[in-house]
Amino acid sequence: MFSQSLQEKSRRDFIKLSSAGVFGLSYSGWMNVLAARAAEKSGSTGKKAKACILLWMAGGPSHKDTFDLKPDSKGAGEFKPIDTSAEGIRISENLPLLAKQMHHGALIRSMSTGEGAHPRAAFNMHTGYREGQGGVAYPSIGSIVSHEIGKKDFTLPNYVSIGGRSYGSGFIGPKDQPLIVSDPSRGVEDLRSVVSGARFDNRVGLLEEMEKAFYHTYQADNINDHKTTYHRAVTMMQSKEAKAFDLSQESSSSKSAYGSGRFAEGCLMARRLVEVGIPFVEVTLGGWDTHQDNFARVKSLSAQVDKPMSALIADLQTRGLLDSTLVIWMGEFGRTPNINARGAKPGRDHYPRAWSLAMFGGGVKGGMVHGATDKEGASVSEGKVSCIDFMATVCELMGIDHTKENETPTKRPVRIVDKGAKAVKAIIA
Amino acid sequence: MIRPVVVTLLLMAGMGFLASQSSDFLVAQESKSEKKAPGSVDTDKESPKSALAETKPPKQMDAKAIAKLIDDDINAQLGQAKLTASPRSSDAEFMRRVSLDITGVIPTAERVVAFLSDSDPNKRSKLIDELLASSKYGHHLADIWGNLMYHVDSDNRFVTKEPLIKYLADSFNANKPWDRMVREILTADGEQEKKGEVTYFLANRGVDKITDSVGKLFLGVQIQCAQCHNHPFTHWKQTEYWGMAQFFYKVNAQVQRNAKTEVKPVVEEISRPQRKINPLPDSAKNVSPKFLGGGSPRLSSTKPYRPVLADWVCTPENPFFGKAIVNRVWAQYFGRGLVNPIDDLADENEPTHPALLKGLAKEFTSGGFDLKQLVRAITLSEAYQRTSIPTPENKSDNVLYSHAAIRVMTPEQLFDSLTSVIGTLGESGKLTGKMMGPARTPPNARDRFVAFFAGSEDPKATDYEAGIPQALRLMNNPRLSGSQNLLNSLARSAGEPRKVFEKLYLMTVSRKPNDGEITKLTEYMARAGDAKTAYGDILWVLLNSSEFVLNH
Repeated sequence: MFSQSLQEKSRRDFIKLSSAGVFGLSYSGWMNVLAARAAEKSGSTGKKAKACILLWMAGGPSHKDTFDLKPDSKGAGEFKPIDTSAEGIRISENLPLLAKQMHHGALIRSMSTGEGAHPRAAFNMHTGYREGQGGVAYPSIGSIVSHEIGKKDFTLPNYVSIGGRSYGSGFIGPKDQPLIVSDPSRGVEDLRSVVSGARFDNRVGLLEEMEKAFYHTYQADNINDHKTTYHRAVTMMQSKEAKAFDLSQESSSSKSAYGSGRFAEGCLMARRLVEVGIPFVEVTLGGWDTHQDNFARVKSLSAQVDKPMSALIADLQTRGLLDSTLVIWMGEFGRTPNINARGAKPGRDHYPRAWSLAMFGGGVKGGMVHGATDKEGASVSEGKVSCIDFMATVCELMGIDHTKENETPTKRPVRIVDKGAKAVKAIIA
Repeated sequence: MIRPVVVTLLLMAGMGFLASQSSDFLVAQESKSEKKAPGSVDTDKESPKSALAETKPPKQMDAKAIAKLIDDDINAQLGQAKLTASPRSSDAEFMRRVSLDITGVIPTAERVVAFLSDSDPNKRSKLIDELLASSKYGHHLADIWGNLMYHVDSDNRFVTKEPLIKYLADSFNANKPWDRMVREILTADGEQEKKGEVTYFLANRGVDKITDSVGKLFLGVQIQCAQCHNHPFTHWKQTEYWGMAQFFYKVNAQVQRNAKTEVKPVVEEISRPQRKINPLPDSAKNVSPKFLGGGSPRLSSTKPYRPVLADWVCTPENPFFGKAIVNRVWAQYFGRGLVNPIDDLADENEPTHPALLKGLAKEFTSGGFDLKQLVRAITLSEAYQRTSIPTPENKSDNVLYSHAAIRVMTPEQLFDSLTSVIGTLGESGKLTGKMMGPARTPPNARDRFVAFFAGSEDPKATDYEAGIPQALRLMNNPRLSGSQNLLNSLARSAGEPRKVFEKLYLMTVSRKPNDGEITKLTEYMARAGDAKTAYGDILWVLLNSSEFVLNH
């Protein structure tokens, strides 16, 4: 309750300060102060990730065909495990480039969750709550990160979702909604003015005068809030940082390192966004719902992941950003250990009981595996990790107190992660 | 804190139980009330008459007397606080506000001009009557109640909303008495195709969801916390929650579950309570049906349960029912409830104006649950008609109604107002059954816009919540930020610029520009060189201004 009101107050203060020169850039001095303060704060809490890139594998990737192969099991499937740069860790032969980065990452092979239908499971894995639980609209992890560690006065949004709508900010409000980039090659929708730059400036100048007069008469907070939002949007349109959304700025060699296709472009854009200070970026790759034709499809999807994801990790490493950037690869659940008998091209069905996810960089202990499944990959035999445990782990890595409560508009306190969560300390460096 | 509750659904494909109910629910009595309304003109063109007559018509609500009741209470409190109220709104301010509030859209330029030049001293009350008689009144309320009764979540992927919207719009437009309407909703059964009101139970499947929702929407009581534990702040006990929940144990709401199998959506009450599907928590195992804070009726095992609940809810005697709706309508017109949060009428949560809430609820429930008459009373009050311009002295008051609250347009109001200026967005708003099904992206431009601009779960009417993506869309989307047709016709009209400025202001911010503004715009036009460019710029500025997006 208390923290909410403080935050509310500082938001209002900010609005007051910034309204002095609404559409000018006159508050950049203030921004520097805030940035310095933010740096101070994060410095005092120890080494924490400043950004998170969530590579969301929509549909639920088969754990037995990616990161938890069981060559001797009944439903082993077609793929062979290969060695990686981390001793003792073997992953699918379809991920050869990623295998070379494994020393930067940790696998959790003991995920066990409670939702087996796509939308409910995806909601659960994005928010840490079950959809509809207690009648609250829960914020997704991207919105939580935006809300908790995002810079309030940033020229860019603190949460960007590439290639999909993802999950929004729920009760914490639209300021932490994701900015959606549907096609990375086209950048942000509506970011460019439909009129020339000079004419746009004229329009904004006239708007500013109108706003000033209206506020002078009516003096309501929401007039200022409107002004501030427009200010941020206009600043973003004109900012250097917004170039981060423009992939044409990248050299052809870095483009070719990531490969082609939307997901690859999304990974490249994610690096650009993290570089300019956006704390949460989600990139979606769909198609993992392989009820049929599992093996050909997983092979092709793995290829779509392997090059861009390994390039992303390497690129972050080269730029000195990997330690402060957490990269997560996961979907909403795993897939059945047995191969179904559906049609000529068999597949695997939804399986939340035991599955795998991968985390790289960002304070993760490299080259390790947490947990294990039995010999069929059917149940967790060691180190079970629930949805909320995973959420708490992400929070811990990002320096967010997962026990903190935020209030819904009806003054109901809701913890960032529900009670009973235990962060997986073993993978935290 | 909150125990996850998994609600499984009973699917009974092929159960074709259809209660035959009279679809002729139109009410005779509200047509009369329209006629008797003081200062009203003939407004009941759109209210169809019905052969059904109430046996004992309740006494008519007197809108002027109720408006006085409102003002006496509010002025007394202002007096106690030694605050002076702001003066009456200007005609332009009033017209824009009351149009947005009653019909959900700004007035046309022509209508504003006619209103401003009208010298009839009763023009405000005539305008109120005109707006209440417009079918937009019901559609606006259907937007509001549709959002409350149907939540967009994955459980409702295959539940269509359109039949509910149609039911709501028709019922509100017919001014169906609120007690009758809620009874219809609470006891609805049959096929959704034939009866839109069953959508409420289709979209809130599971006894916990429907118990929470009925509590919040129709009783103004938040009992959802008591589902899992005794409520920490109020006297609601867990047994109270599950006592209420008992009334929904025989409801079977059947919906399509996936894209492949088509299922006809149906709501019915089946013969046995579904204990296995909706298990009771151990701490409430032996709870018998109980009205909230009231008695325990004996339910007949051979009869449906919900009518028994409706008999208790939809009465003047119910301690919550009248207050709950009066408080909601009040909040719609004033930006905050007499009790806040508006759905928390617990004894522990004091209203700001307790006597007023009680008085309004009494007038409403004893006067035939007449919603249009309640709106008429509210909008006729001085409190509602005050300007939103604060005085230096009352500036910080936002509780005592010393000046009108400035509210943010809902996404629906914004869309309808934008398109009323720039024309439709070139897409059909018609939904077909197939399109409404599994699609994740809303199928028409208005729904997409609303989804994109939708704020938090329970937005405060006065909070501007839109973020950068929304601002970018309004500024830079070629479809939203202007209209070539409009600009061409303005430029072609070859009127003097002053007239065009006036037109642009009237159609967007519902007022004429003042002299200072005209000077500024004239200068701007000189700099821009070309008239059409300047008009395009001015239209853009107006549509992106807070004066446009706020209801002031």
